Amino acid sequence: MNTKPKFVYSTLIATTPEKLWAALTDPEFTAQYWGGTRLESDWTAGSRIVFRWQGKIVHDDTILKSEPPRLLSYTFHPLHMEELRSEPPSRVTFEIEEFKGQSTRQGPVVKLTVTHEDFPADSKIFPMISNGWPDILSSLKTLLETGRAIEFAKGT
Amino acid sequence: MEKPKFVYVTHINTTPEKLWDALTNPEFTQQYWGGRRVQSDWTVGASIKHLKADGAVELRGEVLQAEPPRLLSYTFLTASGDRVPDEKSTRVTFEITTAFGVTKLTIVHDGFEPDSKLVFEITNGWQAILSSLKTLLETGAPLPFNYKC
Repeated sequence: MNTKPKFVYSTLIATTPEKLWAALTDPEFTAQYWGGTRLESDWTAGSRIVFRWQGKIVHDDTILKSEPPRLLSYTFHPLHMEELRSEPPSRVTFEIEEFKGQSTRQGPVVKLTVTHEDFPADSKIFPMISNGWPDILSSLKTLLETGRAIEFAKGT
Repeated sequence: MEKPKFVYVTHINTTPEKLWDALTNPEFTQQYWGGRRVQSDWTVGASIKHLKADGAVELRGEVLQAEPPRLLSYTFLTASGDRVPDEKSTRVTFEITTAFGVTKLTIVHDGFEPDSKLVFEITNGWQAILSSLKTLLETGAPLPFNYKC
């Protein structure tokens, strides 16, 4: 297969676009569902975004697009593992839309689509993010709907 | 040309047994599956039907694997035939595992033709169904939408 790898995942969440945007951009919030990772930025296009985990910067990236509460895109370049650092940055995009089938009488439902692309054909990062995003996005949905993130047990 | 398939993973705060029940109990499926009752006796070789609220059969298939509460697989064919007349029977597989103390559901829907249009339809359908299933198991109520499959 010589097509470039691309990860696409959609989930429907009982929340508003504004609350979902806050969950994606507030470090106090991301730490709860992203394995303790704080995402820090001023969230404007061209700005720096860092992922901070246990006090250390594990990603140092750039905001590509920021249109709250609908569209967010940034480069994605893990720094914390030697064999990943040499791989060029990929790109992740979050699209938030109101779900068409929703019943407004019963409360809002939004559709979040995460697209992660621009990987080299032999990417080592791609298989890792393909496992990682369903964990993170499952926990994000649980947090927004129940008030508590999924508690994944420690270990491998 | 590679054959298209749909793969989706979701983690749910529940037990494998409750998730198995949610996938196989028509009283449960009609809450999150666009009102569909999914009926079978869930033994290998048994028939399976998806019934709409009015009782009409929408989908039919055959159970290929049933190992409660871990593995369920069945063929999947549109019963009406008029929407996608060229599609052959496809197959859906549900795998339930426990990862990091959390129940993990992996869905693979394959067997599509290389130029299948159905795979795009089912992608939207599964995303809505599986999102609502997770919400129902975690909060006691499905997502508040009227999804029309």
